[in-house]
Order: sequence, then C-alpha cells, then structure tokens
Amino acid sequence: MIKLYDYELSGNCFKLRLLMAILGVKYEPVAVDFYPGLEHKSPWFLQLNPLGQLPVIDDDGYILRDAQAILIYLASKYDPSAKWYPTGSPNLLGEVCQWMAFADAITSTASAARLHDGLFYDFDIEACRTGAHRLFRILDEHLWFGEDQGNDWLCSGSHPTVADLACFPYVVLSEEGGISRQDYPAIRRWTDRVKRIPGFRVMPGIFPAGPGPKTT
Amino acid sequence: MNEAAQRIWHPIASSTDLPFRHTYHGQLLGREFAVWRADDGYVNVWENRCLHRGVRLSIGINDGTELKCQYHGWRYANRTAGCTYIPAHPADAPARTICNQTYPAIERYGLIWSAEAPVGELAYIEVLSGSAVFPLRGIAVNAPAKLVMQKLVTYQFQPSGQIKGQTATSQLLSSSDDSCHLAATDGAHSTTAVFFVQPVDAGRSVIRGVLAETPADDLKRPVLYHHNQLLTALREQVEQEFSTLPQPAPFAPVIAPPSAPTLPDIDFDSPSPRGRSAPLRVQVSKKWMTALDIAAFDLVSITGQLPTYQPGAHIDVHMPNGLIRQYSLTNGPGETDKYTIAVKREAASGGGSLCMHGQVREGDVLAISEPRNNFPLRRDAIQTVFVAGGIGITPLLAMSRTLHHSGLPQTLHYFTQSRDHIAFPEILGTMAATVQHHLNLSPEETAGQLRGILESYKPAMHLYVCGPGPMLEATRKIADDLGWPEPAVHFEYFKNTNEIDDSSQFEINLARSAMTLQVAAGKTILETLRENGIELPSSCEQGACGTCVVDILEGEPEHHDVFLSDGEKQSGKRLMTCVSRAKSNRLVLDI
Amino acid sequence: MQNQNEKDPIIENLWHALGALKEIDAGQVNKTQLLGQPLCYGKDANDVAFVWPASERHKTHTPVNFEALNRCLPVQVRYGYVWTCLGTPSEEIFDIPEYVEPDRRNLNAASMGVHVSAPRAIENFLDMGHFPYVHTDILGVEPHTEVKDYDVTVSADACEILATRCLFYQPMASQASAGGADVEYVYRVPHPYCSILYKSSPLDAARQDVICIFIQPLDQEHIRAHMLLSVLDVDNPDISIRAFQQTIFGQDKPILENQFPKRLPLDPRVETPIRADKSAITYRRWLRQKGITYGVIPAAA
Repeated sequence: MIKLYDYELSGNCFKLRLLMAILGVKYEPVAVDFYPGLEHKSPWFLQLNPLGQLPVIDDDGYILRDAQAILIYLASKYDPSAKWYPTGSPNLLGEVCQWMAFADAITSTASAARLHDGLFYDFDIEACRTGAHRLFRILDEHLWFGEDQGNDWLCSGSHPTVADLACFPYVVLSEEGGISRQDYPAIRRWTDRVKRIPGFRVMPGIFPAGPGPKTT
Repeated sequence: MNEAAQRIWHPIASSTDLPFRHTYHGQLLGREFAVWRADDGYVNVWENRCLHRGVRLSIGINDGTELKCQYHGWRYANRTAGCTYIPAHPADAPARTICNQTYPAIERYGLIWSAEAPVGELAYIEVLSGSAVFPLRGIAVNAPAKLVMQKLVTYQFQPSGQIKGQTATSQLLSSSDDSCHLAATDGAHSTTAVFFVQPVDAGRSVIRGVLAETPADDLKRPVLYHHNQLLTALREQVEQEFSTLPQPAPFAPVIAPPSAPTLPDIDFDSPSPRGRSAPLRVQVSKKWMTALDIAAFDLVSITGQLPTYQPGAHIDVHMPNGLIRQYSLTNGPGETDKYTIAVKREAASGGGSLCMHGQVREGDVLAISEPRNNFPLRRDAIQTVFVAGGIGITPLLAMSRTLHHSGLPQTLHYFTQSRDHIAFPEILGTMAATVQHHLNLSPEETAGQLRGILESYKPAMHLYVCGPGPMLEATRKIADDLGWPEPAVHFEYFKNTNEIDDSSQFEINLARSAMTLQVAAGKTILETLRENGIELPSSCEQGACGTCVVDILEGEPEHHDVFLSDGEKQSGKRLMTCVSRAKSNRLVLDI
Repeated sequence: MQNQNEKDPIIENLWHALGALKEIDAGQVNKTQLLGQPLCYGKDANDVAFVWPASERHKTHTPVNFEALNRCLPVQVRYGYVWTCLGTPSEEIFDIPEYVEPDRRNLNAASMGVHVSAPRAIENFLDMGHFPYVHTDILGVEPHTEVKDYDVTVSADACEILATRCLFYQPMASQASAGGADVEYVYRVPHPYCSILYKSSPLDAARQDVICIFIQPLDQEHIRAHMLLSVLDVDNPDISIRAFQQTIFGQDKPILENQFPKRLPLDPRVETPIRADKSAITYRRWLRQKGITYGVIPAAA
C-alpha cells in the first residue's frame, strides 16, 4: 500500500489525500511531526527527501517527493480514465503543467504567509501577501473568462484536473495568512465547485460546501 | 460618516456572482454583506454575521431555501432572515426576535443593487433602458471610489463594432460621484457605456461597467477582453497614484444589536372581539380544491414581508363572518413569499370551514395573526415518523418537506379515505420515496397498520401525529404499547372535544405581577386575566394549540386541554389558561 | 498592530505564557509580542528562562549572553511554558493539580497564531454546540446536536468560573467500544485568557485527561494560543496525541478568524445567547465585572 508521509495541517499533503480520496486509492498515512518537532528536518526524513519538505510517498518502494509531482504520478497510475492527468491531449496537458507551476507560486506566497501568521515563520509577510494577491488577480480573471465560456475548471475541458487540486489548498487557506478572497468572486465560486467534486474531503481550515446542482 | 452615500443605491455584485447555491461576500461603505440567491430566485442581502456569535455568514451554506451558519448550524430563512432552527436546542422553536438585518436588493442591468438606508427608488438609467445591456467583468481596485472616478471619466475605449481599431474617441456624456456615462465613437461605430464605482471601503472600490448594447455573438469575448485589459491598466494607474497618498482608515460601520422585526403598521379598524391580535393583512392570491372537500389558499402579504415561520406553525385566520380559526402552514422551508393553508369542509362545523369554502374568494383580504409554533419539529432524530390522518396532513407536510429538503431520514404515513382525498398531491409527488399512502382503512385496519409502522422504536426516533381525535388517541396508545417514550411522541389535535366542567371557582396568584384574582364559575383563567388588564397570547382558546400556556409555581391544576402530554399533566408544572382550572383552592402562576 | 497604547492594568499585571520551554534553543534569542509590546525570550543551558524588552541589537536565533541583559521582566516556568508579566504580578499563576501526577504525560500540543481576540478564543474553547459542525465526526456529529443543561458557577472569591455536568455526544467516545456516547466535560476559567478542560479519559473512566489553553495576547486582535495536554495515555506517541489537538484547533481557527467584531462584545444585547451558552454568558459577565477592557468591547455604562 502507498505510504504517505503526512502532516494534517499541510495543504500540500492535503492535496494528495484529496486526490487519493477522489480516486478511491487506499493509503497508509505516516504522521510526521512537522510542528513542533521539525521532524521533516530530521536525519531519517532527509534521507527520504533531502529538501526536507513534505509530502513524500512510498509506493511499494518507489519514493517520490514534491506535491505536484506526486499528483501527476498518482493520477497517471491510478486514474484509468486519464481525466485527472490528461495525457491524451497535448494542449490540455500543457495547460495542466502551466497551472501546476502556478500552484508552486501560490505555495511560495500564500502558504508562506500562513506559516508566518500561524507558526511565526520569519518571512517577509508583506511580500508574501502582495505576491499572493498578484497571483489571485490572475487566477480570478482566468476563472471568470473560463466561466463565461462554460468552463468550470482551471484547464479547458469539462473535467477537473490535478491542476485544480494543486492550486486549491493554499488558495482556500489563504485567509490564515491574512489574504482575503473577497475581491476574487470567481475564485470563491471555483472553490465551491472543487468542494462539490464527488469524493471531496475537508482538512482543518476548510469548510465543506452545501449540496450543489444535481447535474454535477 | 457616509450618511449621504448610504442613502444612494450602489451596485454590490454582478448577477453572475450569485450562481446556484453560492454565498457571495459583498461589502459597501465598509459594511459587509452575505449575498445569496435562493432557489426561488430571490436575492438576499444580509448583514454578514450570524446573530449568535458574529461569524461571517458569507462562509455559510446556501441550501437554496435557508442560509446555515458554519459555527453552530443556525438556519436563517430566505427573505425574512429570521432564524428557523437552533440545533443546540432541537426541541424549541427559535424566538421570532432572532432575525438578521436585511438590506434591500434590486437586480437590474446585470447587477445587484443595494443601499444601507436608501431614499427613494433606484432610478432608471435612460441609456441602459434597452433590453440588451451587456455587463462587463467587475474590477476590484485598491483605491477610494473618488480617485477611481477621477480616472474613469477619461477612460478611452473602442466601440464594440470596431474593437480592433485604435482611433476611437471617447466622450464623457455625464458623470456623478459614483457613475459616469461614456460614448466611444470610431467612424460609423459607436458604443455607450455606463461605469459605476462601488465604494467598498475607504480605500477599496469595484468598477462595474455596463454597455448599452450587447455586441454580436462573435464579438462578445473580444469586447469583454478589451474592457478588462483597459480597466486593468486603469487600475494599475489608480493604485500607483493611491499608494503615494496617505492611506485612509477603513470605515467602521455600526453593528446595531438585533431587534425584533417591526410588524407592518396597520390601523386596527376592528379589534378582534376576543382580544386575539391579527396584525397582518393578507390577500388570497390563489384558492383551489387540493383534494375532495379540501380547499387550499395561498395568502400573500399586502402589508410588507410576512414574518418567519417554522414547520409546525399555525396562524389564526379572522374570517369575514367574525369567526377565528387556526390553520397550520403547509409551506416548505424558505417559502416566505406566501403562506399556504388548507381547510377541510366540515358540514358539522361552527361555520369556519363553510365560510372559508363558500365565502372567501381569490382577491379577498383577510386578517391573520403572526405564525406561532407550539408544535416544533426536532431535526436531530435518527428517524422521524409522521402519521397524518386526513386534514392532519397540514403541519406534517411542512415538517416533512423540511426534512426532505435537508435529506434527513423520515417517513410520512398519510391516512386518507381515497386517492381523491389526498391533499397537495403535486408536492407529495416530489418526495414520493418518503411518503406512504394508506387508503380507505377501517379503524381496526388503521390500528394494524400503525402497529406495523411503530413496532421498532429505537432511541432518538421521533413520532409526530396529527389527525382526527380518535386516530390520534389510537396512535398515542399504540406508540405507548410499543415502547415509545412520551417525549418522543409529538401530537397536535385540531380541536378539544373534552367536555369542560367550568363550574369550579378558585383563586389565582400572579407571582410576577403581584396580583390575586378570583376565577368565577363559568369564566376561564384567560378571561379573568383579560378582564383585569393582563394580556396573554392565545389562539384556539379551547385547549388544543398550546399558545396560552403558563407555568405553575404552586397549587394543583385540573387539566382540560389536549395539548399537554399525560406526563406533563401529571407533573402539574404548566396549564392552559383557556381551559385549565384548579383542584386546589389556589394556584400561583408565573405571570 | 492596533492600539498599542491602550492599557488594561488588570491584564497587564497578570502572568501570560510566551512559549514552551522545551521548544526553545538554549542560548538564543526568540522574538514575540505581548499586549502590543515586542519582547525577546530565551533560556540558558540550565533551562533558566529570561524575558526582556526587544531591541534592535537582538536578532532572532542569534546567540545572546543573558548575564549581560540590563533589564529583564519577571519570569516563571510553569506547566512547561515560560510566563512573564509586563506589570507587577498581582497573583500567582493558577493551580493545575493534575499536572504533577506521576503517570501523566504533559506536552505542548502547539503554539499557534490566530487573528482574533483572546476572549473570543476562550469563549470558543468553552463551547460545545459547535462540535458537530466544526469538529465533525471527531467531537460531534449530526444529528446529535443538543446541548443538555449543565451547571456554571463562579467561585466565592470570583477568581474562577467552573462549568460542570457538561455532556455532549461524541461519535467515537472511547477506544474500548465502538459507537458514540455522551462524554462529560468540566471547564475551568481561572484567568481571563486561560482555560482548562477535563474530559473523561478513554483509558480510565474514573480519571480525566486535561487540556489547557493559555492565550498569549499579541495585541487586542491577534493571539498565540498555547495548548497544554496532560493525558493518561502511555501508548500513543507524542505525535499522534499532538496531531489530534492540532486538528481540533486547526478546525476552530477559520471560525475564530471569521468572527466579527474580533473583540468580544460584553454588551449582552449585541449577540444572541441561548441556554447552551450559559458558560459564555457567565464568562462575559465575569470579564465585565472584573473590568477587563483588553480584547473586548466594553458594555456601555
């Protein structure tokens, strides 16, 4: 069974738990004492991931780090419909990779702001928040024009992809870093849609959505 | 602060910001709103805080009929913003005073408009009078509205028909503090646009643009992109400029303590003869035969928003012939635009049903009381069983619809004489999986069915019964035999058929009012109180509805009502002032 | 941060926790804030703690010579945390007798920042009605939403609030048996910004696990919540005991951060209490009677 080196309050771990819940993939969480134990910097963990970052998976001996990379691996291996990681369409695949990179930018701004406010990491909080707002403006505009064309998701196509799951956690946790989403109504609607994906589960800090349209 | 701006209507959202079952986070002049569209299309603009602990309702759940707070699950109804359910106290009907602050909403030009204290109607804008207006994407700007407006009047854009050109000239047609009208012309092409600036807070705004004409289909997207790009550039400029200026403190809107909703102001032209108030005036908007001998009535307010109700509630209807009768509301959750009642024709009645059937017609105006709920529905059951007999369906229909909407486990058993006697078949049809019909059964057959229905009681199951007296008695008896504890069995009688012996006389002591009164033979406690100037709410005045209940501090009551359960009667802690009397010489009441 | 100048003499003269002693690297500077005032704290190689006003000279995680500090604030180590007082300590730190029981495990579950006032966080800690909604499937679950009647008293010397006979349905009530049952809680509020919860131990029905929350008010609307666990569990590793409490607090956090106003209104008409809020009603009245002004909106006189 897949081992997930996991920390409950980590958005990057959550996106993997989310994808596996949606795909119905069983896994065994291995709790890592990220805080206060800093176990992700401990020698045993650095052997798994020399970058000292969560998450890491161990799929029957195959060890992989980096949340976005693991999303791609899991979707490629465990989603036979190939909708979550659409290898059949070059255009769509390009978009997925583009937004996966965007998710990394969200992590380095919105997630950093959350670590500053919640766990008192020594970051330049104003730079984190300004950077996150710059990204959110781009994201909101993209989603607004997508909705106007009938697109519900980050990438074109009628099905959500790993890109949605990659971007979702630190967007929806942004308020814990003092980054309001009030000015991003299209982002707020998209987070509702993600929450209504069958199999969706929450993590601390994320509320469930109510029942949506019956057709989805 | 901001008094002038508070009187003006401002756009607070786009129509497209309110999709199905979404809750929008709005703000105007510092005041935050939870904005949500109910499934019936109504747009609610509410103070963005739950009355309980101040949690933002914009993070709450829009279930299509009610908004549910994420913190303690309090529910607030569409339109009224009145609280309909408090899960921590599932057996209680929330007080009517728990009602959130609402703000007016108008949907026009693809925008949602509101105001804190509007003076007058939202004025029509002539250039947008056509039906084909075209709203642009709203652009949030971190700068004060005034600064944004200064830039916006110089906004240069291409007309929709010449979107790729670069030679258009824009002309300012008119402008005010919060909007400007512009026309762009390029050769033969011309487009008129109106831009509104929503003052979100002291240093924040939203530009909301509307074109007077919808572009041709293939141009819609280029036009949207065109304005989005230009307005984004304008935003950069304004924000750059604002960043060099002193930053204003955010507005500090006053949060008023919740107060009871005020009832519509009405002339009481004919005070009710028995002192029961009927402050609402409603018009019969629809009357139809929903089943054989059962007439249904939709009642719409002519005096403002109807008050919040909960499932199980009833109203007093004051009839043209002077009679007052109680009818349960059959409405589902959030159906706050009307009250729907149903009346069975009773040949042997005192004239109430005959009046409603024969005299009252569509368009007639009736006086009614506010809804009262003495038959509240718990929503914390692991399984709810409803047993309705005949017209007893009415309160149970409201209850069953409520549970059905929330997907809570339940079965509605509906005993009628025949298919033709089934009331509201169109509603029951939408929840067919939860409804079981029992047709044309003898009392013995009914009892047999009830034994089957009630045979497997488990803790946290609840039973609600309403129907003719004998059936109700039988159901209660069977439930008792089969181990249903009394608190799990809830019932409502239509009327009290007990023979009431009112020949006794006794003294009542009113603990809180420090008064002692004598209740004479032939008089009720309620009448005695009224004669001495003490007004108590009452409704049926025959010991069925429970409205006039009071607590007993001392003394032994003689119960004549059908509202209290046997256990409650034995405990002797409460009585119905309309029928109960005393076994002891004296009662001390908590009034 | 707002209103650094607003002084509340009662709060100023109380002890406040700054951080878990174990989590401090010896000989280094740690920075924090209390009641709007920037502070440094640290410990030496012998676990002796120091707290002093922050200055430009002292940078986070750089070495410091504690003997060379010219002005230090009062300091105590209690329950595994460094406590200090900005004014003159008016009373001792309250007692938690269970802490010293030999078979208990005491650990800091987390010290987490939240954008809310200290009294709002305490009130949430005292609240049971939100369990099915905020701590779904852990501390509560629908449809078991009822808050049954419980008792709240204020001690004769007005020093402490005590809520007893608090019962709430918990879906996984004990490790011994599957299924849900009512769990009994007792709450103490011995300090305006601290509370202690006793909860029947899943391992030993006769004894109780103890969960404490010590709120460090960074300013009127920002806090650092320190959570002490004192549990009878000997089998589970620290990490899983901590993870449980971090999950619970992580679920409360977005609720607290969405409360408005952030300061606790003491005027009873501003929010709508119900019977289930008995402890919150008592807490607000108690703060009012004490004359607390920091982190609250005082009731109009």
